[in-house]
Formats: sequence, C-alpha cells, structure tokens
Amino acid sequence: MRKELRRQLTGYAFVSPWLVGFVVFTLYPFLASIYFSLTRYDIVTPPRFVGLANYRFLAHDAVMWHALLLTFEYALVAVPLGIVVGVAIALLLNVEVRGVGIYRTIFYLPSIVPTVASTLVFIWILNPQIGLVNDLLGLVGIVGPAWLKEPGWTFVSLVLMSLWGVGGSIVVYLAALKDIPFFLYEAAVIDGAGVLSRLRHVTLPLLSPVIFFNLVMGVISAFQYFTQAYMLQDQLAPEEATRFYAVYLFERSWRYLDMGYASAMAWVLFLVIVVVTGLIFRTHRRWVHYGS
Amino acid sequence: MDRDLLRPLARRVLSLSFVASIVLLFGFVFAVPGPPARRHPERIPVRFWHMWTAEWKDIVDRIVLRFNESQDRYEVVALSVPPSSNVDAKFLLAVAGGDPPDVMAQWKPIIPTWAESHMLRPLDDLMSPAERQRFFDEAYPVAKKIGVYENRLYGLPIGINVWALYYRPEHMREASLDPDKFPESLEELVLLGAKLDKKNAHGDIVRLGFLPGWFGMYAPVFGGGFYDWSARELTLDSPANLRCLTYLVECRKRLGLDVVTRFESAQNAGASVEWPFISGVFSITLDGQWRVEQLAKYAPGLEYRVAPIPPPAGGKRFAGSSDGNFMVVPVTAKRPDGAWEFIKFWSGLSDPERAAAFHTWGGWLPALSSVAKSKTYQDYLARYPSFRVFVDLLSSDNLAAPAPIPYQVFLADRITATDQAAMRGLVTPTDALRDLVRQVDEERQRRRVLHYGEP
Repeated sequence: MRKELRRQLTGYAFVSPWLVGFVVFTLYPFLASIYFSLTRYDIVTPPRFVGLANYRFLAHDAVMWHALLLTFEYALVAVPLGIVVGVAIALLLNVEVRGVGIYRTIFYLPSIVPTVASTLVFIWILNPQIGLVNDLLGLVGIVGPAWLKEPGWTFVSLVLMSLWGVGGSIVVYLAALKDIPFFLYEAAVIDGAGVLSRLRHVTLPLLSPVIFFNLVMGVISAFQYFTQAYMLQDQLAPEEATRFYAVYLFERSWRYLDMGYASAMAWVLFLVIVVVTGLIFRTHRRWVHYGS
Repeated sequence: MDRDLLRPLARRVLSLSFVASIVLLFGFVFAVPGPPARRHPERIPVRFWHMWTAEWKDIVDRIVLRFNESQDRYEVVALSVPPSSNVDAKFLLAVAGGDPPDVMAQWKPIIPTWAESHMLRPLDDLMSPAERQRFFDEAYPVAKKIGVYENRLYGLPIGINVWALYYRPEHMREASLDPDKFPESLEELVLLGAKLDKKNAHGDIVRLGFLPGWFGMYAPVFGGGFYDWSARELTLDSPANLRCLTYLVECRKRLGLDVVTRFESAQNAGASVEWPFISGVFSITLDGQWRVEQLAKYAPGLEYRVAPIPPPAGGKRFAGSSDGNFMVVPVTAKRPDGAWEFIKFWSGLSDPERAAAFHTWGGWLPALSSVAKSKTYQDYLARYPSFRVFVDLLSSDNLAAPAPIPYQVFLADRITATDQAAMRGLVTPTDALRDLVRQVDEERQRRRVLHYGEP
C-alpha cells in the first residue's frame, strides 16, 4: 500500500509544475473572477462588493447586446464556412498527384503565420485605393468596396480573413481522410456509387467525428474572437463591425479599468459558450457517425 | 568498417547533436540582451518609463543622459515601452504589484481615471510652494488644465500638442490663387480647398484640397466643446457642437461620403517621411507642431506655410483642442523625490534655458512660457518661423484641454465613435449627439450606483 502511495506521489511530483501552473494561473483566476464579477474593482484599490449590480447593468447594456449579436453572427457564418472550405481543400489535397506534399505545405503554412502579421498584410491587401484585391477586381471592371471602412464589408473581410488560418483544420481532416478504409470505397463502387454518392455516404459520415470536433473548437474560438477585430479598430474600422464581445470585454477591463464589469461579462460569455456547445452536443447523435 | 559497429556510433552522434541543438536553442533564447548596465551604480536609481520609439527614443535617451550628467545623487534608468505593447496594462499591473516605475511619461487621457483609482501621486505633494507657484504662473492656459483632476496636479506637462493648418503655396499658385491671402474664415477656406481638389478618371480623389474633419478638434473652433470648466459640467450636445458636426458632415457630403472614405483609407498615418502632405496628396491639412521639425529633416526643400484654423461665422479664433505629453508618478513609486527632480529638469521648472534645448530636439512646444522665452528657444523659432504659429496658439484661452472627468477615456472613445458614425452617414448629426448624451448619461448612472468616486 505504501509502495503504491509512493508511486502515486512520485507521479504527482512529476506533473506538479503543470498542476501548480494550472491552479495558480487558471483555476484561481477562474474562481476569483466569480467574486470580482460581484464587485467594483480596478486592480489597484481593493474590490468593493456591489452584489448583482454588474449583471443588472449588463442586461441593459446595448453595446454588450450588439457585441454579443455580432459575435453570434460571426460564429454562425465563419465557423461553417471554415469547415466547408477546410473539408473541400482537404479532399483536394487527399488526391495522390505529383507534388501533393508541396501543396499540403503551402496550404498549411498560413496557419502558422502570427495573426498580427497576417492582419497587417490584409489591411494593405484590402485597401480600397491601392490594395491588391480591388486592383484585381478593377481588371474585370468591378469597383471594389472600401473593405475595412464600411460595416457590412468589414464583417465580410473578417470572415474572409478567418479562412486564412484554415490550414490547421485541413491537417486534421487529411489525417481523418487517410483513416477511412479503402474497402468501403471499393464496396461503394461495386454497388454503383458515383463520386458524389461516395462523398455523401462514405467520406462525410466517416469524417463527421472530426467535423464535430472542429465545429465545437471553432465555435468556442469564434466566441472569443479578438485579435483581428481589435487591430482593425485601431485602424478606425467601423466600430459596429469590429466591436466583438471579447473586444468590448477588453475595452471595459483594461481601458476603463472596470474589472468587475468585465468579469461579469466573462461569466456571461462562459455561460453562452456552455449553452451553445451543449446544444451542439445534443445534436451530434443525429449526424456524427463513429466507424467502430 | 562493420555496419553493426557504426550504428551505435551514429546513434550516439545523433543524440549528442540533438542535445547540443537544444542547448544552443536555449542559449540563443536566453542570450537576448538585457537592460544596459548602469553607468552610475553608486547613485539612487530612478526608473523611468516612456512610450517613445525610434528617432524619438534617441531624443529621450539624450535628455536622460544630460540629466544623469547633471546629477551626483540620482541616475535615471529609462525604458521605452511602446504604446502598441499594451503599456497601460503593464503600468497598472506594476502599480498593483508594488513595483512600478518611479516616473512615467504619458500622453493618453488617463489622468482622471488613474487618479480616481488612487494610482497616481499628486505632484503637489512633491512640489515646494515656490515650485507650485512658479508652475501656475508660467504655464500656458491649456498646460494648467491637462494634468489636473479635482484641483490637484497629477501630471506635469513636458510638451504640449497643438494643431494648425499646413498648406502648399505652389498648389495655390497652380490654381491661380494667392498664397499670401490665406482665408479669414472656415467657409472661405473650404471653398478655396475645393478649387485644389484633383480626381482621377474613376472619380477617386488623388489630391485633396481641404476637408475639415475631426469633430473633437473643430467643436471648440465653432465655439463649442465638451466641457465647461467654470460650471464644471459636460456640454456634449450644445448648439455649437451640433452646428460643428453638421457643417463637417455637409463638407464631406459635397465630395461624396464614399469617395472620401476610400481616399482616407488609402492614406497612411505618415508618422514621418511618409506623411502624405510631403508627397502632395494634401494641399491643406491639419497637423501638429512636430511636423515642422520632420519637414526640415525629410523634405528640406519643400515650400509650405502654417496658419491657425480660421473661425467659421460665430466661431472662435485660435481655437481647437489640445493635449500633451506629461509626467506622472505612481503612488507606490519608491523614489518619488528623484522622479520629481527629473520632471523639473525636463519641464524647465529648474532651468528653462537648459530645458529649451530638449524641446527643440523633439520639436516640442513647452508647457512653460519661460522656456518659450529663453534664448535657445527663440533662436529655434528664428530658424523655424513656421513654429511660431504654434507657440502663438499656446497663449490662447480658446484651446480646449480634455475634460477632467474620471471616465475621460470612455468619453474620448464615445466622441470618436460619434464622429465616425456621423461622418459615414450612418446617423444624422442630431441623432449622433443624442446617442452620445444617452451613452454618457448611462455611464454616469452606472458609476453612481456602483459608488465610483468613493473609496
């Protein structure tokens, strides 16, 4: 028994650096923010208890509702689009043609470019008068819009920019595609299935666990969408198209020193993510197929 | 040699190479140069944070060097923390952690918010009565307001920012206009600017004559503004403000909202040599005094002139908004006395003649009239006559300082958002101002309920 206990303690000793880091830098702030959300707190002076006042004001905060709606819209458009594009490119990269390794690398590379760097490049590419996109549109006689200055087009630009990082999920889809047994395709061909039927009845069902994983992760990260929108705000892009929930949370916390209000916002966001993720989980039995 | 004998050797070489590369990688990561060694370790260190980078950082380093040469008690150790690196959060965490810099140079609208949060030490505590008297006797009207909150001085200005119109005489001559007759009213100026506009075949602006913009700057020119210093209250939707915003939007509409938006987004901020005025994209444009020094440096042969914004009908002369660079001392600073010595040195409170040299290095407008009157500064003005327009503006009572309210950052953000929404034609100027008042009222109500302003 003592030997077993010693073995366990040794194990915990080895993982203790992570455990300590988790407790100090994740668990404690996570729990502390519950208390801070019930206070008025500016980091320097001690928190002052205000009960549920932050939540009450939050319920009537038009800016917060607008930011939440914008974030929902973004999640609703960018996440499915990212999945469709990711799966489509993965299917193309799964075709064994000469130099496919190079193509795979090319599609993966953008996802490891730092977001700040790629956003800066996009700011120039989407410049209405001297940007590459409008220059190309001009060649076919289209006058391109002011991409990052008009609210509607700013939203479109942000969604398009999100596709830049789709390489990470392509790798996961590719791995899953490689895992689909070939005999299933053979059987489908013998049964007379064409390309589309094979895609619909073999590939997509067997890819569905990975799509489900990417959907959940995509939704969670969409609700925390920040960097690109924050950078565009700095470029005086329209506020109504760039003030996502996380951007407004950051504004309230570090710009206005409203840590209590920001903590309440963070908890509301947490609950929203839990509910949305829960809803996705509830639907997964209907469309996710596990091969085993 | 036998291949079986070679295999363990190869494995060992591979392992050693792997370990060596890890060691090298760590060595490289940790070999990042630390702060430079102190020159005077026997003295009391005064840690100074500022936000200047590139050519500006060099000037700050020169001032710090001068201070350290003048001292035998303190040594200022400067650290450049760029504004893009979320410097405010770093400062707040340093104050909360009890290890902040002793003094920091700032230019953002933070004084009331930070002072209300008890993060800043009132400089009145560090000043002698004579120094305080001297500051309020010699400081320009706007400089007296920039660092004040609740009648206490939390930030001592070391440079004031004032905006005026830069214009290109040759563009006016091209259009058969006399550059010696600069318009006396804003309305005349807008008409003149229209004659200087140039568009390409697609209708895009390639040269903008003149377009007034920036609600925050022009509101005082129209006799408005956002704060009444005598009544100590906000004046957000005053008739003058509405007149201003309406006029600015109408000017934009004449050119086409979409056309202006496209033109503006094609221009970069132009921090130095890439300023679009130099390349001739603007004929008349509003900018700060620091451009005089930059024009001398990057476009020495360029012909240009500077003039104050002419008032519209019923408006005010020599008006506009103004802000500045100022020094703050955190409440938990360990060497506040050393910090104050440095602030006096830079601002000119201890020696205006000496401080005048620093101001000329950066093309800064002094907060104190004694610095502006010094021989060094007067020589500088003789060398750069355009600069005198800005110095003259400094004496004006019509320059507005940021409102000294604890939600100053919030208000500044809302004014910018109001400006943007009206300029893009999303709302009418009347509705934009109504929204501004509503948002600010809601914020004030929230602060009242949450007991802001109470310890």
